[in-house]
Amino acid sequence: MKNKSASRLQYDFGKLFTAAKTFIDTHNKKSTNLKDRLNANHRATAELIVRLYAKQLNKLISSGNPMHHEFPGFKTFNPSLASCKGCTTRTIMNHKERLKSAGFIIKETHHGKTGIELWINPLIFTPKKLPTPTVCKETKISQITSFFTKRVKNFHPLVHVQQEQNNNNSSVDILITSEKQGVRPKAHKQKYNCVTRTAHEQHMNTRESRTSDSDKQTRRLKNSSTGESESAFLLNLVQDFWLYTQPKLFESAIFSKPEETEILNFIWSSVYRKFKIKGSTNEWKSYQETLYARVDMVKRWLVRNPCRWIPPAHLYFHPENKRNSFIKTYRWFIKQQALKRQIRNRILIQKAEQEWKDYNQGEGKNRHKTRLQLFRLQQQHLDSYGDPMLIRAYEKSLQKIVNT
Amino acid sequence: MTHPDPNTALSKCIIYFNDGNSRTFYSLDKKHKKSKPNQALGIRRLEKMLLQHFKGTWRTAIIYENCTNGKELAKYKNGVRLF
Repeated sequence: MKNKSASRLQYDFGKLFTAAKTFIDTHNKKSTNLKDRLNANHRATAELIVRLYAKQLNKLISSGNPMHHEFPGFKTFNPSLASCKGCTTRTIMNHKERLKSAGFIIKETHHGKTGIELWINPLIFTPKKLPTPTVCKETKISQITSFFTKRVKNFHPLVHVQQEQNNNNSSVDILITSEKQGVRPKAHKQKYNCVTRTAHEQHMNTRESRTSDSDKQTRRLKNSSTGESESAFLLNLVQDFWLYTQPKLFESAIFSKPEETEILNFIWSSVYRKFKIKGSTNEWKSYQETLYARVDMVKRWLVRNPCRWIPPAHLYFHPENKRNSFIKTYRWFIKQQALKRQIRNRILIQKAEQEWKDYNQGEGKNRHKTRLQLFRLQQQHLDSYGDPMLIRAYEKSLQKIVNT
Repeated sequence: MTHPDPNTALSKCIIYFNDGNSRTFYSLDKKHKKSKPNQALGIRRLEKMLLQHFKGTWRTAIIYENCTNGKELAKYKNGVRLF
């Protein structure tokens, strides 16, 4: 009885398929041009979409969110539709185009990573009237009794709907059964997580400790709030970078809002690699500093010679630009840093050599120290730079001095 | 050759020519037929049209959002962008 009333609320696949079929048939009758008609393949795609969409809607209804005014869109992915149908994504796209022109699909929106959203013609998905509570009890009872008393031959359904039936175990997620039946409570309910006060029997959990699992989930909950602030911080970095770069490199250019958003998107994907690389805030800050240094470097390079140029911003930060994009300045920057370090090392070693010369002549501030003391002093000073190349070069120069 | 569709274009450009005429041009916001519309691309194309194709033939040109009460996105006077 319960199941019967529940199934009434849900969409019947058979009826939906017939509705889709009649829709396509009427369309084919109307269209005189052969090219505009929908063939069997288009029909199959339409049915697939209807089936999956109905499944989604039924799930939505069973979760307790009935649609009152508007249908939600059918959220899916082109590749998943293609794999369901056993064809390529291109075919799915072509079929969707055809169904759109036929009016089967009203609207389509692309959500990038999260897939596509389709709005199917409401003629096919006319919402079924929910059983009203004002129905006379007697008629209801008579319906139910007729259901049990009628001896009707059990026909197989026209459409194979076995897989679309509700899962018998679906009540496990909904948590409608009593505590004694061994249903585990939701993990992030703090009061249940304590070992001594758990609502479910501990001996039932032989495989995995629920407490450890729930810890993970609560941590994830906490992380979600910190994640938001982190993403805000990261997006701020992109904005700051653009605010720093624009007056330096593109001072004469004026950008409208859509142009600026496009450039920001390019910076996000090319300069920051869509933040796919995990790093702490301090690491990102130091990276931001190197970016500023790179921008300054490009600015200096431009100022030095008026014949030099960089491409416009939308090309300069374009992720596909392999020729003259901002990404290329990274190598340049590294090279420059290496050169700077080399020069610094050379100056430091020259200083050390000079100190040894002065020491040998009995001059300089270190003349009263022993050789070992001077060596230790210099070694300490050079160690503070943390550059092994510098230490090696120092040892070489020291050997030369000692040998001469 | 594909032509921009005034109904689907995201931006439009009104050019006031030197000879007193004025004409509206609509943006072509797609790289190819199936691509996602990109308003910035459409604006850049309109700008290119103004500064290269119609160079020296107009006095004022304004790019608007192609919708009712659409905002001004860019304004040009004598070949110079004002905002």
